[in-house]
Amino acid sequence: MRITDLLKKEGIRIGASPADKAEAIEQLVALHETCGNLLDAAAYREGILAREAMGTTAIGMEIAIPHAKSEAVKAPALTAMTVPSGVDYGSPDGMPAKLLFMIAATPDGDVHMEVLARMMQLLMDMDLTEKLKNAKTPEEFLALIDAKETEKFPEEVKAAPTPRNEGYRVLAVTACPTGIAHTYMAAEALAKAGERLGIPIKIETNGSGGVKNKLTDEEIANCDGIIIAADKSVDTARFDGKPVWSTKVADGIHKPEELINKIVNGEAPVFKADKKAEASAEVGNESFGRKLYKHLMNGVSHMLPFVVAGGIFIAIAFLIDAAKGVPMDGNFGSVTPVAAWFKAMGGYAFNFMLPILAGFIAMSIADRPGLLVGVVGGFLAANGATFADPFAAATTPSGFLGALLAGFLAGWLLKLFEKLCEKLPRAIEGLKPVLIYPLAGLGMVAVMMCAVNPVMSIINKGLSDGLLWLNQHNLGVLLGCILGAMMSIDMGGPLNKAAYVFGTGMLAAATTEGYMVMGSVMIGGMVPPLAIALSTIFFKNRWTAEERKNGVVNIVMGLSFITEGAIPYAAAYPLKVIPSCAIGAAVAGGLSWLFNCTLMAPHGGIFVVPTIGKPLLYLLALVIGSVVGMLMLAILKRPIKDGNK
Amino acid sequence: MVQQHFIIKNAQGFHMRPATNFATAMAAHPCSVTIRFNGKEVNGKSPMLIMAACIKVGSEIDVVCDGVGENEALAAAAGMIENGFGE
Repeated sequence: MRITDLLKKEGIRIGASPADKAEAIEQLVALHETCGNLLDAAAYREGILAREAMGTTAIGMEIAIPHAKSEAVKAPALTAMTVPSGVDYGSPDGMPAKLLFMIAATPDGDVHMEVLARMMQLLMDMDLTEKLKNAKTPEEFLALIDAKETEKFPEEVKAAPTPRNEGYRVLAVTACPTGIAHTYMAAEALAKAGERLGIPIKIETNGSGGVKNKLTDEEIANCDGIIIAADKSVDTARFDGKPVWSTKVADGIHKPEELINKIVNGEAPVFKADKKAEASAEVGNESFGRKLYKHLMNGVSHMLPFVVAGGIFIAIAFLIDAAKGVPMDGNFGSVTPVAAWFKAMGGYAFNFMLPILAGFIAMSIADRPGLLVGVVGGFLAANGATFADPFAAATTPSGFLGALLAGFLAGWLLKLFEKLCEKLPRAIEGLKPVLIYPLAGLGMVAVMMCAVNPVMSIINKGLSDGLLWLNQHNLGVLLGCILGAMMSIDMGGPLNKAAYVFGTGMLAAATTEGYMVMGSVMIGGMVPPLAIALSTIFFKNRWTAEERKNGVVNIVMGLSFITEGAIPYAAAYPLKVIPSCAIGAAVAGGLSWLFNCTLMAPHGGIFVVPTIGKPLLYLLALVIGSVVGMLMLAILKRPIKDGNK
Repeated sequence: MVQQHFIIKNAQGFHMRPATNFATAMAAHPCSVTIRFNGKEVNGKSPMLIMAACIKVGSEIDVVCDGVGENEALAAAAGMIENGFGE
């Protein structure tokens, strides 16, 4: 119990000049009342006066400490007063009181005694009491006490910050596929929950900017356990032998306290990473579906930079050629030399898309040995080699879907193969990662993809034909609507990613329909934050002050195609926000298709609009979709009573 | 030198009034009065030091008196403490 916890600067009066003891008491009681320490000021004053009637509370040395334990006190507290000219307080040494503290104590507990003892220990220091008497401001008065208290009881000061720097009881890792919003929202929610529960917690974020606040080996060794709230693979080998609770990033956002309690109550199973290969997959308490999703997202998140950078380069190429007015034939985008350069470089980045996707899916499943099988599998999916046509002269690529298959199947096959290899003699243990796994892996994935390519190319063609059919029968609008809605329903979740991955996959097909798909996809992802932002501006009475303030940020988020900005609102009012956003996004996606807006870049929001075919109509679709979303919100979400709730 | 072991009985312990009364009473005796509590020695004639020691109910203390009139001083101290300082 520190004095500075009980004494606020509003409870300090410097340079008072009460005429007598009664007035001094009156003023000190008034200070308590100002600070809100009392339930009943009159009753408390009576307690003080009753105590004084039994004998003065002046203790000599110009100090008086009136005090009362009373039901009228809300919580233990102090007030203080300096009286430069002194006031007669009936002190045993006959000196007037110049420094007065008034203790308000609750009837129960030992706080009263502890405060008294603590004050005496401080006030024995004549130097301090002199300085206190001469303090010029309440702030100076408090600072003097704080400094003295810190000097006399250094262990308290040391004890306070310690849990924050070392000795974290609970560690956490948060990560999401995009690494822009969920990762940090989960980290913040966990940090706040830790504070509420009084449990020191450190959170490592694996976001798009890399790993921040990395957990050290020492921290891991000393903690009670680790929470992994992630929708993609994180490095888990380091948690060997520690209790680990693995879950999705959304749980970190929505039930952080539950997660912390799982660790604290010892409910988390001990994590075993004795074989590095199993590091990312053997996190026990995860459903099969979750693992699938996590592997997929590991691939997607690593692929995205290639798609974004390559796509924008290619979009720039088209923009340059369009500005030059060259004919829009098969060579469009590589006619002018500068455009050709951009298109080629962007194309090279694009070429890595499928190998990276499959490679990191397989790596997520089978750790490092998986990289080779995945990358090669992805490459084979892209170039379309078959048994009959190993050099892929005719090219029957299985494309995006084939790459997904390659990543998963190759990863699992290799993992199975590793298990089989456990029976091999220890003598060749060292050969496994450098020779046996790569050799067998390459063989497996090559055979597999040569078999899969012809099949997958049929499915891929069917999908494109289906799209074409939809388009020819004027039903492409429906596809646009569906994609737009999918983008906004779970805002960064599986549906969103499925639609997005489909969009980027179609982008690789480089057809007009493909670009139109991408247009519908992106607009669907831009609508939710914008619809919410508009709603917070035009329908203020639907939102709290804080929600309105953050609404502005959502304009930027929406325009940048960062759907995640809508998540806090969707999380707070899912049944109102999600349908509204989905309908607005569906309208925008459908309109984008209807207007034949083609988007050649896979990301970029408002910044790539100039590269869009029919940019103004695209913006119109965006505005209409956002307004529809806003109006839906206005209908579904009733005004709240108190705007400042 | 004489000394005696006590257990503090009054619910509030050595708060301000008992500490002041005790110290005042002890000051009337010429001998030294020391309270041993929690491994520390506290001057029994100083109300501030007694309060600063934070002696709560149930605490075990030794009162040590040394010098002229030590028996009278210890008897007076025993009377006050065992009486719960009249509370």
